[in-house]
Amino acid sequence: MQKKYFEYSDKKQKFKRSVNTLTSMVNRNVRNQYRNSVLGILWTVLNPLLNMIVIAMVFSLIFNRREMEGLYYPVYILSGNIVFGLLRTATSNALPCMVKNYDLLSKTRIVHEIFPISNVLSAVVNFLFSMIALFVVMLISLHKPGIGFHPTLLLTVLPYLPLLALFCLGISFILATIYIRFRDIQHIYSVLLTLWMYLTPLFYSLEMIEQHHKAVFLLKLNPMYYYVTYFRQILLGNVPSLLTHGVLCAWSIGMCAVGFVFFHFSKKKFLLYI
Amino acid sequence: MDDEKMIEKSEKENVAPDALVEVSNVSMRFRMPAQKIDNLKEFCIKFVKRQLKYNTLEVLKNISFHVNRGESVGILGRNGAGKSTLLKLISGIFEPTEGTIKVRGSIVPLLKLGAGFDPEATGKENVFLNGAMLGFSKKEMQQKYDSIVEFAELGKFMNMPLKNYSSGMIARLGFAIAVDVKPDLLIVDEVLAVGDAAFQQKCAEKISSLQQTGTTLLLVSHSASQVKRLCKSALWIKDGEIVMYDDAEKVSAAYAADCQKQ
Repeated sequence: MQKKYFEYSDKKQKFKRSVNTLTSMVNRNVRNQYRNSVLGILWTVLNPLLNMIVIAMVFSLIFNRREMEGLYYPVYILSGNIVFGLLRTATSNALPCMVKNYDLLSKTRIVHEIFPISNVLSAVVNFLFSMIALFVVMLISLHKPGIGFHPTLLLTVLPYLPLLALFCLGISFILATIYIRFRDIQHIYSVLLTLWMYLTPLFYSLEMIEQHHKAVFLLKLNPMYYYVTYFRQILLGNVPSLLTHGVLCAWSIGMCAVGFVFFHFSKKKFLLYI
Repeated sequence: MDDEKMIEKSEKENVAPDALVEVSNVSMRFRMPAQKIDNLKEFCIKFVKRQLKYNTLEVLKNISFHVNRGESVGILGRNGAGKSTLLKLISGIFEPTEGTIKVRGSIVPLLKLGAGFDPEATGKENVFLNGAMLGFSKKEMQQKYDSIVEFAELGKFMNMPLKNYSSGMIARLGFAIAVDVKPDLLIVDEVLAVGDAAFQQKCAEKISSLQQTGTTLLLVSHSASQVKRLCKSALWIKDGEIVMYDDAEKVSAAYAADCQKQ
């Protein structure tokens, strides 16, 4: 049997090209969101900030709580929301990315993985802008319970964000691959995402549920629970336990590996099915 | 592992060392679903009923040839003969079903002008985006930027969003970015039929000047006269097989005769 393979003497060039493409794509994605608007780039912070204020007002009114798990309630909601928001934007933008970029896939020698990765990275950049908005909210409510700027916040940069991004990337790989064959996944996923959001303690806490239901351990099978609580822990100034780190690493690396393998072995056939 | 080494060895013995592109025994088959199924419901129904049918389409049949460094080869053939598939294989977009393809050097495939342009972004942003896809950093692109704009003759329009460009303008910009690189191998797939006559002339001149600096050219065309003008030798493909690979004059004459006959 003859082995099929290609040999290019410009592997290094290929890598360089991928990195350059990636940065300019992320740049483009972030800019395109607010193109042609009067305030332009300012919206990247203003938009999450205004959204946060609305969400915080509504839920504070409904639940009428001052704090939850030691954190000022509006900040409790907001922190959960921006973490879940990263997952939502990353995955739902990455879902149709292969089909959308058919032109590039079929006419240029672009590395296929670039498309899901650039979408996840754009979502990470948006997350950072939302962090600024979150800091603004925290500044306003400095005297409220559990609010402060602790050095543990640095854990967001490492290891938290890379881990969360890897987790999102794994899911994005899988979704983008399925979408090529079955466009149904778009609709199925949007329902699943809503369900997933309500299963994640964004505006309630697991303690609250525990009082009514015994099956609370089922909610702890949800990986997003760990990502959300980790983020709240570092907002409170606690360093999460080694076990929590282990769980996050396992989910991130596991999900990314599964997604990558799935993507990698299907990618030869991508062009035939789009 | 072992047979991989063997192939490599035997090929080294057979082929001249200055071969830039080596295509050996390449076949390409597409296994296409008989009907396009893109939703789960249909797939399940057809799967259960065992109605999932596939058609195998053999686009290229056991093709072998090589192109030496500095040579320029035109690929002639009628619609659906497999020309574009061959170029995509050489560009590395597809992998062959059978056989091997080797390219020793950098490739710039020009299969479609302005592939990857973003209609929302301005012309200037698109130059940088497209440049990045070709492997250039922002710094390098800044150096090239002026000459690209000058070649495309679009100085006034660079800060306009691309969606307001005419299709000729987009093609001109795409061509200007692509040829401002000095690749070892330039692959051109019928993209030269854009723009007005003056710009076409300019493109042809640019390509000849690239050829003089040692760039190898692979050009797909329906037009025998264009191939004669730009290429030294030509390859004629018919129904996935090589009919002739010889001097451009001879091949294009034979091709033209064949076209007349039908």
